[in-house]
Amino acid sequence: MLQKGMAKTDTIAAVATAPGRGGIGVVRISGYQLSELVLHLLGKPLRPRFASLKKFLDIDGSVIDEGIALYFPAPNSFTGEDVLELQGHGGNAVMQRLLKRCLNLGVRLAEPGEFTKRAFLNDKLDLAQAESVADLIDAASEEAAKSAVRSLQGEFSNAVHEVVERLIHLRMLVEASIDFPDEDIDFLEAADALGKLSGVREQLQQLQNRAKQGCLLREGVHVVLVGQPNVGKSSLLNLLAGDEVAIVTAIAGTTRDTVREEIEIKGVPFHIIDTAGLRDTSCEVEQIGIARTWAAVDKASLALLLLDSREGMTSSDEAILARLPENLPVMQIFNKIDLLPREAGIEFDAGVKRIFVSAKSGAGMDLLRENLLEVAGWEQTGEGAFMARERHLRALDGAGACLRNAENNWRQLEFFAEELKLAQNELNSITGAFGADDLLGEIFSRFCIGK
Amino acid sequence: MFFPSLFDVIVVGGGHAGTEAALAAARMGNKTLLLTHNIETLGQMSCNPAIGGIGKGHLVKEIDALGGVMAAATDEGGIQFRILNSSKGPAVRATRAQADRSLYKQAIRRRLENQPNLWLFQQAVDDFTLSGDQITGVVTQLGVRFEAHAVVLTAGTFLAGLVHVGQSSYQAGRAGDPPAISLAHRLRELNLPVGRLKTGTPPRIDGRSLDYSVMTEQPGDDPAPMFSYLGSSNQHPQQVSCWITYTNERTHDIIRNGLDRSPLYTGVIEGVGPRYCPSIEDKIMRFADKDNHQIFVEPEGLSTHEIYPNGISTSLPFDVQYALVRSMRGFENAHITRPGYAIEYDYFDPRGLKSTLETKAIKGLFFAGQINGTTGYEEAGAQGLLAGINAGLFAAGKEGWSLGRDQAYLGVMVDDLITRGVSEPYRMFTSRAEYRLLLREDNADLRLTEIGRELGVVDDERWALFSTKRDAVALEKERLKSTWVNPRMVDVASAERVLGQAMEREYTLLDLLRRPQVSYQALLTLPGAGNGVFDPRVAEQVEIQAKYQGYIERQQEEIERHHHYEALHLPPDTDYSKVHGLSIEVKQKLAQYRPETLGQAARLSGVTPAAISLLLVYLKRNQGRTEKKSA
Repeated sequence: MLQKGMAKTDTIAAVATAPGRGGIGVVRISGYQLSELVLHLLGKPLRPRFASLKKFLDIDGSVIDEGIALYFPAPNSFTGEDVLELQGHGGNAVMQRLLKRCLNLGVRLAEPGEFTKRAFLNDKLDLAQAESVADLIDAASEEAAKSAVRSLQGEFSNAVHEVVERLIHLRMLVEASIDFPDEDIDFLEAADALGKLSGVREQLQQLQNRAKQGCLLREGVHVVLVGQPNVGKSSLLNLLAGDEVAIVTAIAGTTRDTVREEIEIKGVPFHIIDTAGLRDTSCEVEQIGIARTWAAVDKASLALLLLDSREGMTSSDEAILARLPENLPVMQIFNKIDLLPREAGIEFDAGVKRIFVSAKSGAGMDLLRENLLEVAGWEQTGEGAFMARERHLRALDGAGACLRNAENNWRQLEFFAEELKLAQNELNSITGAFGADDLLGEIFSRFCIGK
Repeated sequence: MFFPSLFDVIVVGGGHAGTEAALAAARMGNKTLLLTHNIETLGQMSCNPAIGGIGKGHLVKEIDALGGVMAAATDEGGIQFRILNSSKGPAVRATRAQADRSLYKQAIRRRLENQPNLWLFQQAVDDFTLSGDQITGVVTQLGVRFEAHAVVLTAGTFLAGLVHVGQSSYQAGRAGDPPAISLAHRLRELNLPVGRLKTGTPPRIDGRSLDYSVMTEQPGDDPAPMFSYLGSSNQHPQQVSCWITYTNERTHDIIRNGLDRSPLYTGVIEGVGPRYCPSIEDKIMRFADKDNHQIFVEPEGLSTHEIYPNGISTSLPFDVQYALVRSMRGFENAHITRPGYAIEYDYFDPRGLKSTLETKAIKGLFFAGQINGTTGYEEAGAQGLLAGINAGLFAAGKEGWSLGRDQAYLGVMVDDLITRGVSEPYRMFTSRAEYRLLLREDNADLRLTEIGRELGVVDDERWALFSTKRDAVALEKERLKSTWVNPRMVDVASAERVLGQAMEREYTLLDLLRRPQVSYQALLTLPGAGNGVFDPRVAEQVEIQAKYQGYIERQQEEIERHHHYEALHLPPDTDYSKVHGLSIEVKQKLAQYRPETLGQAARLSGVTPAAISLLLVYLKRNQGRTEKKSA
């Protein structure tokens, strides 16, 4: 009966090595039907029980890391399910990115001790080991509770609780108007439910932004560098990175692949992706590079459009701009001011920031770095920077999505109520359970209800 | 004396729980005895004369879908019908009816008297007979001993009932009926966990002394809806209106000045009352800033002048009741026919029950209704039905039956009761149901009638009607799914009229019906849409299922995610002190309440997900040991 029950488990993932900057980090994934996941993540199927050197691919096909992949099909694995182990270069940022990639592929974060629990439930541990499983679950959940408490201390916790309280207030109005329609107050009409919802959404958005900033320090910001061929993208990248990473020649179309470089500005990692020259071409290799660029653009949180100061904005640049995702912030960087009688500086035009630099002389580079920080949402104050854990971030994202659905469904009260409840369920994973009884308690303490 | 024949099931109590229990057990073919202290009060509505409402209406439809009688009796006795929340979506719409007490009672009585396999007997029950931890029968006041395989106890507020009016109090089951004192003592001896709750009623008024011209009229819906799936509007008696008036500052002053003689505010009443149905003195004290409260003036019936002023439940002394009633608009000359009162009574902690409503302590003994800490006719009736069915199954030596939280409000209620217990009289609300969008009044039959048929509580007439409807819904949905319409067939004018915009590509009719603004009737007017169904209930069901599809699928996915450990059985003899790693608090909780499944355990307060993991490991390890031993 137990095995039968377990056969329907979902797929879980966790970083299996101790956190910190170790030499090797391992992400372990357990579940059923992992072959599709393997295809997405590694591009090719794996030979069972062989160590293969693989590139771990991100959603856009870019390489997160390169390392050893091991695949153990069920039932001959640690957990008795299909298990995939990815051994990469240790370090939090890489491991987190790899984990995040798995989560985006529909995998769930493992609960404390869950791998061992599954191993045990699938008869992979003997009875003698069973005692220690209980200990492990106990200890692991205690540890998880402690770290959750740590990440929930202070401002983050207060901010989450504030959002939850406002959400509860709104739910109280909604549920009261559903369950007590005969009362002489129209709870919703009187209280402007939609206005309240947008208040909650706004507050949650702020919280998400601040929480993300906390994560920025760990995971970094993805910036994509776009522009016409030979406008100096590679040179700019080299200057920002302080190392020759991209090939620089005077021949247009030299950069055929996206090149990733990580730079740190005031402790915030920036993953800068240099792009292949964006022009129409018949060269097959170049076409592939261009396709990858557009994939990289999709996941970036900022685009730098590099322009030649001598030519200004051309129709080709406008075409590039038009192809960028609508919500992606764009900063325009006018390069090669050294060829003009022009000073480094910044201009604003209809809300668009233009920065004038020279990748050759280095003029304007500090200005560029400062603006990169600002656009990435980094605030000097630092008070908003808290290290929210991945779980918390996902819960906030989930709640945000539900609230968006609620807004779209506000005319249908039962759907509106449903989405608000789901949003609260997401936040409950941070702040603790809040059930139907608690909500009724809020209603009764607030309104005089009943005949 | 020993009554000479053995019964399969004995039901003690003839209220809403007892009557549904007895009828269900008898419908299944069990030889059933209904014992009541007074045959004249079978099906009595002790509180307000109304059935249904939000959440409660859902329960009544579920009772009906399982062959119960509450809905049908309401169709015969209802004198004002309304659909509440009619402007909101189908999941939260609910039917409510004012009932003529005496017509309702007659409808129930007639069904009881005509039910094959059911015997009625008028005698109060004083005692149980046990053999070990198994029930064997009951003993009445006169010493008659009845034997049965299973007993359902539906004692309502009669167990050690204590009525309060002002500072005087007396023992009673409800005003005018004797309490069950010996039985209460006997049950307390059995060491079942017992608590004390309180409820109340308002004074009743002679309607001839009221001035309706200054009150707001609240008519019923026209046409009046039906409660039962088998009901028809020609069953409805004459329809009448309710009226609305308000308390005022003078009313509130009178109440405040009388509080020094209120049993509630002088500490005489120990039982906990419901927060959603507070007495008028509670409302005024807790919500001091409100300068008036709404009072519903509800007729008690067609053949009586008595009215029920819903909203002024009180246990204040009679002189205060008299003054407060007369302070309200339209009530200046009101004549009170019966004083309001509060009643305290024993209930048993429902965490001592299985999901079949059988007590964990005594095999074959089932509890249903207010004895389990609930309030309301509908809550009682639904539990009675479940307990009656399970008593019947028990008598036949069959495995018990229960409903999940995803199947019915009845399932939500029983699960809430047995995992969370009660801290006030439990009433159903739709917000208690996490799968609210699935559990609607309109689909109670689709959710439950097939199950009821298998259990033997659904008769041929209902089954035939249900099967026709179910098949028609499936057929029409299939037709909508496979019928395509395209922009060439549908002219722009028709598309704009029905869809609000031109069609840009080909769609199935079902796709179009999923759009919020497209009604089924309008859809059928599209060129190429074909002929739909005529039965409005089939059409309604097709439309709702289409509109709700996305949400229904999402809730179903969630149900499946939870399913794998929800039903995992926890052996009743599990020694929780041996479960490694559990905190002492969790061990005590599990040992005390002995949940039947891992899902129930997870819903006990204080039981963490980690504790559930530990339990799972423990279960598995024990299973391993047993296998080893047997090998």
